[in-house]
Amino acid sequence: MGNPTSSTATAVNQGSERNLWKEKIGPFISKYGIVFVLLAMVIIMSFLSPSFLKTQNLLNIVRQISFIGIVGIGVTIVIITTGIDLSSGSVIALTSVMVASFAHPGNSLIISLLIGVGVGVACGAINGIISTKGKIPPFISTLGMMTAARGLALLYSDGRPIPNLSDPFMFLGRGVIAGIPVPIIIFALVGIVSHILLAKTKFGKYTYAIGGNVQAAKICGINVDRYLILIYIYAGLLSSIAGMLLTARVSVGQPSMGVSFELDAIAAAVIGGTSLAGGVGTIPGTIIGALIIGVLNNSLDLLGVSSYWQQILKGAIIVSAVLIDSRKNKKA
Amino acid sequence: MNKRLMGLLAVFVLLAGMLAGCGSATTSGKDKNHIVIGAAMPVFDDKWLSYLYDGINQYDKAHKNVEVKMVDAKNDSSKQMSQVDTFITQGVDAIIINPVDTDAVEPMVNAANDANIPVIIVNRMPSKKVMKKIYAYVGSESLEAGTIQMKKVAELLGGKGDIGLMNGTLGQESVVKRTQGNKDVVKENPGMKIVREASADYQRSTGMTLMENWIQSGKHFDAIVANNDEMAIGAISALDEAGKRGNIIVAGIDGTIDALKYVKDGKLNVTAFQDANGQGKGAIEAAIDAVKGKKLKNKFINIPFQLVTKDNVDEFIKKWQK
Repeated sequence: MGNPTSSTATAVNQGSERNLWKEKIGPFISKYGIVFVLLAMVIIMSFLSPSFLKTQNLLNIVRQISFIGIVGIGVTIVIITTGIDLSSGSVIALTSVMVASFAHPGNSLIISLLIGVGVGVACGAINGIISTKGKIPPFISTLGMMTAARGLALLYSDGRPIPNLSDPFMFLGRGVIAGIPVPIIIFALVGIVSHILLAKTKFGKYTYAIGGNVQAAKICGINVDRYLILIYIYAGLLSSIAGMLLTARVSVGQPSMGVSFELDAIAAAVIGGTSLAGGVGTIPGTIIGALIIGVLNNSLDLLGVSSYWQQILKGAIIVSAVLIDSRKNKKA
Repeated sequence: MNKRLMGLLAVFVLLAGMLAGCGSATTSGKDKNHIVIGAAMPVFDDKWLSYLYDGINQYDKAHKNVEVKMVDAKNDSSKQMSQVDTFITQGVDAIIINPVDTDAVEPMVNAANDANIPVIIVNRMPSKKVMKKIYAYVGSESLEAGTIQMKKVAELLGGKGDIGLMNGTLGQESVVKRTQGNKDVVKENPGMKIVREASADYQRSTGMTLMENWIQSGKHFDAIVANNDEMAIGAISALDEAGKRGNIIVAGIDGTIDALKYVKDGKLNVTAFQDANGQGKGAIEAAIDAVKGKKLKNKFINIPFQLVTKDNVDEFIKKWQK
């Protein structure tokens, strides 16, 4: 009597272990695979360079990525709807020169910020309206915006940098509150708000629904166009926030700012598990993606790797990170 | 949907045409009293080059009988080629080219020569073979900039020290030459050593990031020598912010307005002034000479680099104020 019982017990035990692996650990790894990639990079680097784990260096890394991180968050939401936003870098430039032309000493900080936000919202609204009402692919409409906004930035600034910014404005890029650089604080706020927006609200639910199946979303009574326009406005807004922070950081408005930023932002989103096919993607994922890019840049500089090799390694590591991640996704 | 797409594209094309047409509303006529110059420029979105364009445009504004058509190749060689072709079709009297890529300029020069239109190349020096085919090259020697910059740094360091080199956008001729000039001088000074070399893409923000990372690497630096001023200013900001400036020498090249202010404040120790306005002016003057049939003794019109330090910065600040 004792024997069969114990063997059944073992079988049950084994089954539950297998289940545990299948239902808990496996999905956990696949869900957080990219986190392990980041951790692995951090561990390897902490052995290779004694200065890597210093607080100041870690703060530097996060501050360096806060700009592409903020843009990447906006782009993530756009990509979830199967869209794309190529205009981020140019919106940064346009924001930069328009804000810098006002944010001189003596002028109101609030109005400066409103100008910046206004640029982002306007560009985003145009992107959204042209894509939805004009029924053209966002790749084209945002490509148009990318070219036009850069041109506008050049026209407005006469191709020149705009210096002489007020101290309160520069505080946004250079200031430190309680030991933490201001861009990091704003990055964190943007991350938290966007995560709540995407994970906890109707807006987020509809975003995934549109990306999953736009026809089904329409049948369910979602005003798809309205939400898409809002999403592009949000992405534009985040680009302009990044533009203002970057302007404050380098203390000059530049029409050449943010060149190829959109590609880094898209890379951060994709490394972070956002699918270009739509419907899949999270804000924490994108933040991890941006951190991977930041750690990579920082590590290669710390080690003094030649710039030619840096580019090759960056390309290889970005693709491998996504490969590792997508393999795990397939298994799950 | 297709019609809509086409319609939208048409709007974009029209808009682009309107913008491009801003500077040149009239069409060209073929009489000597009205000289039309085509200026094929690599990219409008460049701070330093904008002063070169000013040099050309100021001449244009000051002379009623001269008309300049300036176009932007957006850093795309094939686009520049087609823009030069358009100038030839329009029958301009002379063409000024600032090549996107000096290796890709030869077919443009050939096409212009076939149509008997003189070519002036400005700012970026073409190969010897191409030099033979053009009317003149107006520019400064990048190698010289790197040499005088590093010589001054060597002097300030007393011939010994650890150097960090910040390169501009990899693959560009100016980067290769300026860096070569730097290294030639380092070779002559056995006490000097390049301990770090990396690209910061000619950008201030990237220079700042690179310097932050270098500071964290714990490497010791006596001087940061950058291929342009923007990166040098980025390095200065990062050093100041980290409180690590100490006695580190920082050197740039170009002598932009911003940079000269940094020199005046004692923050940027050395820059090499490349006279952008002078190059633009020199290029259009050479173009007019070419149209008038003047013969040149030397095809290389040198607009030399000048070393700028705190001692002589004021005279260069005056140049920008003109």
